[in-house]
Amino acid sequence: MRPNHWSHTLPLRLRSLFRRNQVEQDLSEELQYHLDQKTQEYLAAGLPLDEARRKARREFGGIEQSKENCRDARRVSYIQDFLQDLSFGLRLLRTSPGFALVAILTLALGIGANTAIFSVIHGVLLQPLPFLKQDQLMMLWEKDRSGTRSNTSWATFMDWNRLNHSFTGIAAVSFWSPTFIGTRDAETLNGFRVSSALFDLMGVKFAEGRNFLPSEDVRGSNFVVILSYGFWQRRFGGDSAVVGKSVQLGSRTYTVVGVLPADFPSVLSFDPRKPADIYTPLAYDATLPYACRDCRHLRAFARLREGVSATHAEAEMNQISANLFREYPTEYSASGVILTPLKDYLVGDVKTALWVLLGSVGFVLLIACVNVANLLLAWAARRQREVALRAALGAHRTRMVRQFVTESLLLSLLGGGFGLVLAWSGVVLLQRVRLANLPRLQNVHIDAWTFAFTFGICLLTGLAFGLLPAFRASKLDLNESLKESGKTTAGRERHRLRSALVLADVALALLLLTGAGLMMKSFVRLLEVKPGFDSSHTLTLTVALWGPKSEDAPAVAFFDQVLQKVQALPGVKSAGIVSQLPLGGNLDMYGVHVEGKTLPNPEEDPSADRYSITPGYLRAMRIPILRGREFDQRDVATSPWVALVNESMARRFWPGENPIGKRFRMGDTKGPWRTVVGVAGDVLHRGLDAPHTLQIYLPNTQFTDSLVILAVRTSNDPASLAAAARSEIAALDPQVPISAIATMDEVVSASVENQRFGALLFLLFGAIALLLTAVGIYGVISYGVAQRTHEIGIRLALGAGRQQVLGMIVGEAMRPALLGAALGLCAAFGLTRLLTRLLYNVKPTDPPIFAGVLLLLIGVALLASYIPARRATRVDPMVALRYE
Amino acid sequence: MSKPSDLVQGTLDLLLLKILALDPLNGYAVSLRLKQVSGDVLQVSDGSLYPALHKLEQEGWITAEWKPTENNRRAKFYSLTRLGKKHLEKESANWSRLSAAISNVVKLKEA
Repeated sequence: MRPNHWSHTLPLRLRSLFRRNQVEQDLSEELQYHLDQKTQEYLAAGLPLDEARRKARREFGGIEQSKENCRDARRVSYIQDFLQDLSFGLRLLRTSPGFALVAILTLALGIGANTAIFSVIHGVLLQPLPFLKQDQLMMLWEKDRSGTRSNTSWATFMDWNRLNHSFTGIAAVSFWSPTFIGTRDAETLNGFRVSSALFDLMGVKFAEGRNFLPSEDVRGSNFVVILSYGFWQRRFGGDSAVVGKSVQLGSRTYTVVGVLPADFPSVLSFDPRKPADIYTPLAYDATLPYACRDCRHLRAFARLREGVSATHAEAEMNQISANLFREYPTEYSASGVILTPLKDYLVGDVKTALWVLLGSVGFVLLIACVNVANLLLAWAARRQREVALRAALGAHRTRMVRQFVTESLLLSLLGGGFGLVLAWSGVVLLQRVRLANLPRLQNVHIDAWTFAFTFGICLLTGLAFGLLPAFRASKLDLNESLKESGKTTAGRERHRLRSALVLADVALALLLLTGAGLMMKSFVRLLEVKPGFDSSHTLTLTVALWGPKSEDAPAVAFFDQVLQKVQALPGVKSAGIVSQLPLGGNLDMYGVHVEGKTLPNPEEDPSADRYSITPGYLRAMRIPILRGREFDQRDVATSPWVALVNESMARRFWPGENPIGKRFRMGDTKGPWRTVVGVAGDVLHRGLDAPHTLQIYLPNTQFTDSLVILAVRTSNDPASLAAAARSEIAALDPQVPISAIATMDEVVSASVENQRFGALLFLLFGAIALLLTAVGIYGVISYGVAQRTHEIGIRLALGAGRQQVLGMIVGEAMRPALLGAALGLCAAFGLTRLLTRLLYNVKPTDPPIFAGVLLLLIGVALLASYIPARRATRVDPMVALRYE
Repeated sequence: MSKPSDLVQGTLDLLLLKILALDPLNGYAVSLRLKQVSGDVLQVSDGSLYPALHKLEQEGWITAEWKPTENNRRAKFYSLTRLGKKHLEKESANWSRLSAAISNVVKLKEA
């Protein structure tokens, strides 16, 4: 529209749009005037009235067509048409509620599942971290002898910092579990000691206060803390005057200097379920015993300098590392570093799984599209007469395609609306119930991005399933359609199209079900794994000592008291204390130096998991003693130092020998010898799908921890004991924080929750796919059969047996289904290898699963075509022949 | 069917504008005038006349007004706007140039 036209044409267009009735009336009147005048003309020429009228009309041509062209000339028609199509579509849907419901539900399932998965992917993977130039942020690891990443030590970290030119800075982080002493209770916090440079390196904008000063990152001046936003809200009610206030952590007083912003992800936390609460400066110096070069317990964060690539930085660090290895040949096991982008480190583990899920949920949507296209085809066929009538009355083909597409968009938008509701409930459920242990889960929202995504796939699906039927329906022979009344002998082309849809349905469903089957089998295999302990009837809880009580001797005494009290509780069979709970997420490893078998470079000696336990622990967990003896009252701080080793460790160091009486050192090559007194069964510590590790048990009298887990075996429901155990401990000391109360079954279950989540989603998608496919095939066959009622009647009347007709119909349905199954098998064969990383102890081409899924689908296809086929053959031939 | 058989769309616009430039007419009168001036050479069906008029109105070249006719019925009368006049002048000039050029070419061939 050219600007100088506006003044004139805009009112016209607005009038066309909003005073439609007036405009339509004017148009009719204008044309009527013309016809009347024409009639007058012929009357005057002496024709009779009838004849004159007819001649006038004939000369005019198609009146409705002319009107339609006039409307087109008014240019606003596409908006009008759209509104008209929309209301027409709505009216039509209301006349076929069954059709509408099935179509909308199908789409809602497909679009909803996609929206939910997308919102998770967007929140977890796609959205950038709230850090300045996050691509420059790296995790920096030492590389160990097996080429895997390992923590670093203070000495190495200092050398890295001093020698590198690639990074603007490197910051180190270590775990810290302070006890927060509140006014009424005490709580063990999840905290970190961090280099003062860390938050500046990430570019964090503090919600309150400031970052640590370099002068606070010094031993003795380090009694300052930064709070996480969540902890600030939870314990201080978001008090904006918190900066400068003091908090009591154990027996020390710290000053709050800052509060992190709400969107700061808990990047330092191993476990997304336990976000960090509090931070304090690292404040190490070289005199600390744990600042040694082989005390590897620090994790390093680094930011690349502007213009320096990760490859370049890695090359430089490898060089630095090689030099250090040369300088300290007995304090490293290998040279080299590993650089991981921070984002990969955070979400790398779930990346594959999430993309695979989005892929599979995409297939669900495809099936939904195929089904709705199918429904629309059948629906369009029923509307043939309406379409033909409209065409005869002058509707253009493009105009009719537009009408059909409007209708399918209406369907997909309605489906998308319900889908959004489904997705929203799914995401809420995911966050509330914590079905999965995903990093950045709090970052998942149904937001503008999700809306855009949903709207996008609505449009796409609307077009995908709408265009085909639209073109098919608008391209028909007017005369034929007007004459016949739906008594179509199934056209060859239409039959082919429906067969293609059945084929696509079956192929897609087979693909999805294979994925679901593999994931389920993998999960079942995982659950069948024997962890090496008996998780039933066991309660666990974490106790943390602080202040003077956390010193070795008082701690041992306190735990003894706790065990005595707890063992006296009714229903308790045995109770024990352990420093790290298997599958519980914590872990402590030491290098093992066996007498007579130590390598020239002690760093090349293997490491073992270390547990400090009380005598009752192995009995409470039912971890078997395979040889030798358990710990008992003889094993005290002053008695000879003893240890139990697990089977793997015995086999590794003393194959074919009796390990009892053998000696080893732990960590330090100059430390005291510890003598093996027994062999315990292997326990899976890192996960049910993890390999067995070397394990060492020490009496807690000879290696004491202040943060421990109490394990209690009961004869009844372990959860019912929780309150009693808690009050016994509180009775001994009300200021000892107790946390993580869970039965051992819950601990095991939580350790596989991501695998369970994956398997569940796959199962859900597979079930939806199966259901949609069954409905789809059923729909196609019953529609095809309904159309052929006449033909079937003739066959029956001519003496064909019912079985024969049944066989014919089912056979015709099964041909595309089998072909689809074959195609699906090929596709599954190619695609399931994407699952390899997610599968435990199952090959992605597992034959029983492939065969099972194939049989299941063929069974469902048979059933879905048998039911309508049988109904068709039950028909009385006479009725069928008269069937219109 | 909706297009005049041997008329280019632009030509019909030009004819209609020219006819309406003389005096305001209703659709029926336009169709009579069209036949009158062009004889049987230019055949425009009544059915395609109205969409053409509506298009010109939307372009802002002509404007419409409901007025009583001599036999006292309401009819829609079209008249040229200022914009239409300008457009007509431009198009007439174009047409003259084009037809002169074409007839030159045709004569050239004959010679």
